[in-house]
Amino acid sequence: MTAPYEIDTMDALIKDLRQAAERLLDIGQEIEAVKRNVDRILSSLKMLELNISDVREFVSRGSNSPHPQGTHH
Amino acid sequence: MVSTKEKIYWNPLVETLAREKLEALQLKKFKRIVDWAYGNSPFYRRLYDGAGLEPGDIKTLEDVRNVPKTDKAMLREVQQREPFPYGDALAVPLERVTAFRQTSGTTGTPVYQADTWQDWEWWSECWAYILYAQGYRDTDRVFVPFGYNIFVAFWAGHYAAEKLGCEVVPGGVLDTEARVLKMKELECTAFMATPTYVLGMADTARHKLGLNPAKDLRIEKITCAGEAGASIPSTKKRMEEAWGAKVYDHIGATEIGAWSFECTAQPGGLHVNDAFFLVEIEDIETGAIINEPGKEGKMIITALDRFAKPCIRFDSKDVIRWADTECECGRTFRIIDGGVVGRADDITKVKGVLLAPTSIEEVVRSFSELSDEYEVVVSKRGDVDDILLKIEVLPEYETGQEEIVGRLRTQLRVKTNLGYRVEVHPCGSLPRYDVKAKRFKDLRKQG
Repeated sequence: MTAPYEIDTMDALIKDLRQAAERLLDIGQEIEAVKRNVDRILSSLKMLELNISDVREFVSRGSNSPHPQGTHH
Repeated sequence: MVSTKEKIYWNPLVETLAREKLEALQLKKFKRIVDWAYGNSPFYRRLYDGAGLEPGDIKTLEDVRNVPKTDKAMLREVQQREPFPYGDALAVPLERVTAFRQTSGTTGTPVYQADTWQDWEWWSECWAYILYAQGYRDTDRVFVPFGYNIFVAFWAGHYAAEKLGCEVVPGGVLDTEARVLKMKELECTAFMATPTYVLGMADTARHKLGLNPAKDLRIEKITCAGEAGASIPSTKKRMEEAWGAKVYDHIGATEIGAWSFECTAQPGGLHVNDAFFLVEIEDIETGAIINEPGKEGKMIITALDRFAKPCIRFDSKDVIRWADTECECGRTFRIIDGGVVGRADDITKVKGVLLAPTSIEEVVRSFSELSDEYEVVVSKRGDVDDILLKIEVLPEYETGQEEIVGRLRTQLRVKTNLGYRVEVHPCGSLPRYDVKAKRFKDLRKQG
């Protein structure tokens, strides 16, 4: 019923994405279209960090999920 | 995998996190935002230096109490400094700011709020938690009957609904009749408005358009903000009956963020988004922190992830109390019982008795013989405080007016321990409001 949340993998991918975005910003920031769009990507990445990376250390390993995804009564 | 239809959490990882882990997350984030503010905002550095506090001093949630509070007066004062127009509470270079908003100015000079694009993403992320918990999904067509302007109001709700995949219809400069007709034409399933306007739109639909909103439109859910009405049972009932829809409350503020929400379980209160905000309740008289349910105090709140103009231990003056129940929705986010029950600066003494305007609304709106509008005027008659309540009796009940007024006065006395003069005005004659209503007037404060 409940899929485990692969939080470590998600966190690793988020880090990869940040690294890639920051690298893109490094080499492309003289191009306004790159700089401004990467800024938006980094803002969206921050939301993923708030939702996943910040929480990772508090989620118990094993189940990887504190509670199953519930449904309405 | 569970299907999208069955999911009830925007993020189950945080919404069902065990309480002790949520608190550990809050502590981690609190330390991070204080560290950020200390390093980047001259205002916060002055504040903390003045108190002899360094970010490293915070090691436990108890240490949070040692961090100086902020309030609206401080934010107003600091915005006289550079950089214009925000002042040095700002923690990012001015060129990083992408959005301006301001408070309504109800209690004084408006506070100007700066947001970067990241903070704006954060605003809509907070609202995404709210809307998802209230059952909004990508199958919804959401109407936003809001005059998009300098007030934050439903801006973030709009963006959050888009984030959820809803189809959003911006009902900006249309008048009320046009908005109702557009919602009908497009078969919208949800909308967001202040309680005053939710009732006002229903009134317009009925009396100017000859429509019954509960039958002729397809609204299933309504999200309210800006006023307490959706947490006042009698007002909520009026709105739900008028529209044949579920009405959910949400509380937020320009300088704080969207910090609480009612979920579809409607537990009689609102969840605090504990993953993004740290809410403390402080005894108004003693300043002691209140953790036990049922005891009212004022809210001290920290936005844990807002970086451009941080909001740390902000004294909002909102009066709240913890609920003693867990919610059947399964969220571990704490519940404040009955929403915001008043404001520390709204609760006023009349004839020596503490009076919260929301308690008058609760009684008036429980009378089905009365219209949605009323007005309260507190003044001095000689040396004695006087409360005048202006009401409208619906035309079909005019013959029983005397009995209705008698019952109303009795219930008001029971609820508030005060006596009222009641004036009946012709239906439709009291002022109508589109956004936040000003129904409580204390003329004693005008000298």
